[in-house]
Amino acid sequence: MGINEKFTPIRKGLLEFLVLKIIAADQVYVADILRQLRGTEFATREGTLYPLLSKMRREKILDYEWKESDAGPPRKYYELTTKGREQLRETSEYWQKISGTVKDLGQPPAG
Amino acid sequence: MNKVVTINLNGNAYQLEEGGYDALRLYLDGAARRLEGNPDQGEILADIEQAIADKCVAVLGANKTVVGTREIEQIIDEMGPVEDAASETDERESSAAGTATGQTEPGAAASESRAQPPPPPVRRLYKIRDGAMISGVCNGIAAYFGIDPTIVRLVFVLMVFLWGTGILAYIVLALIVPTAGTTAEKAAACGAPFTAQEFIHRAREGYYEGMKTWGDKHAHRKWRREFKREMRGWGRMVQHEMRENACRWQQHWVPRPGPGPGLWITLPILSLLRGLLALLTMFALISLVTTGAVFGLPMPAGVPVWVGVIVLILAYHVVAWPLKALRHAWYYHAAYGPRFAPPLFWLGDTIVWLGFVILLVWLADRYLPHAHEALRNLPPVIHHAVDNVKQWWAAR
Repeated sequence: MGINEKFTPIRKGLLEFLVLKIIAADQVYVADILRQLRGTEFATREGTLYPLLSKMRREKILDYEWKESDAGPPRKYYELTTKGREQLRETSEYWQKISGTVKDLGQPPAG
Repeated sequence: MNKVVTINLNGNAYQLEEGGYDALRLYLDGAARRLEGNPDQGEILADIEQAIADKCVAVLGANKTVVGTREIEQIIDEMGPVEDAASETDERESSAAGTATGQTEPGAAASESRAQPPPPPVRRLYKIRDGAMISGVCNGIAAYFGIDPTIVRLVFVLMVFLWGTGILAYIVLALIVPTAGTTAEKAAACGAPFTAQEFIHRAREGYYEGMKTWGDKHAHRKWRREFKREMRGWGRMVQHEMRENACRWQQHWVPRPGPGPGLWITLPILSLLRGLLALLTMFALISLVTTGAVFGLPMPAGVPVWVGVIVLILAYHVVAWPLKALRHAWYYHAAYGPRFAPPLFWLGDTIVWLGFVILLVWLADRYLPHAHEALRNLPPVIHHAVDNVKQWWAAR
């Protein structure tokens, strides 16, 4: 298994967290989310993103409103709810903790 | 130059090449299947359609009004398979694994059956041809009992030495045991539980396999044929299970108004009518063949006898069909009603109508000299008729 495949479940798990971060930064359309992720290791597709967004909306951490876009029909414009911001804060803290653990494990003790 | 199909994506019309339509249909059907049970299924599908529409718009232009098959395949590639993000959490949260089985049961009142445990996996004896030595009999038996096929083969070989019973048994089994064709049957052979979850699981896998073949047209067609056959196989299994477990599931259905006490009489009467019709047809046939006329009505000139025969048979079927349909409706009504075990009922019905027919024939024989004579003449008449047919066939 290549490195990419080994990290697939990790990337899958982190996707929700990253989507929260993207939406927290600014209100976005779905196309914007996909665009921001496109160049990165977390690039994903509509088939994955739509069901994920709908699950997050059911959990009440996201909400959308219909907004006219420049070309074509009105689109969903996503933003975080209060509960969503709360969850983002908790997840960020947890992420700091585990990435610290990952960094420190295996290092020789200081001194 | 290929055919073009116009479709509606989220309220706007798009023209696709026929091949592209097929691919898109499969993709969307697969997405719908995978989102089964998701409360946002409709909304997600609408979003997906809109995304596809946007990508179509990107390839269309003033000089291009049709989206090609290759382009559709690319679009589907970009979209990626629809993964139900909710399915994993829902499975963890649902209390009983058997809740899923409640959802595909027939009958509107399945909601009461949500707490019911799933019916135990049914094990069926099939021949399994994969990896079999001769015809898969030993494999099938081994799968049924859950033991190593080699042991079963050893037993057979031993039986061969015991006055050859093994060979006879093997031949008989090879002839009567059905072969496990679809994976549905193979699953039954190994006793995999036949539940809705299992079906969804296999449909998903089958669909994933199908996605791999999109580049290659032949492989794709082949996959579609097999996939459809699999799904049909499951459909047949469902019906089979329904019939077998009907009694167990019946308690959970809203009790339908029972067929009523008149059933025992109506059904045999309907069968009797059909039997009478059959007898009538037979007599008409015989009289036609022996005398060239149906009960005295001569055939129009120049029309050979065999046409008349065929017309008579067709007429019988036409008249008998509504009778058969009525009978079928009554029978199924009874079969899923609260009381009767289907196979027993069918048997009783057959016996009753056979009895009626025999009684009638005997009465005719006794009281109608004409009929008596006709019955006496029957064997030679049949010979005569057969000879006629043979001559006609030889003279063609």
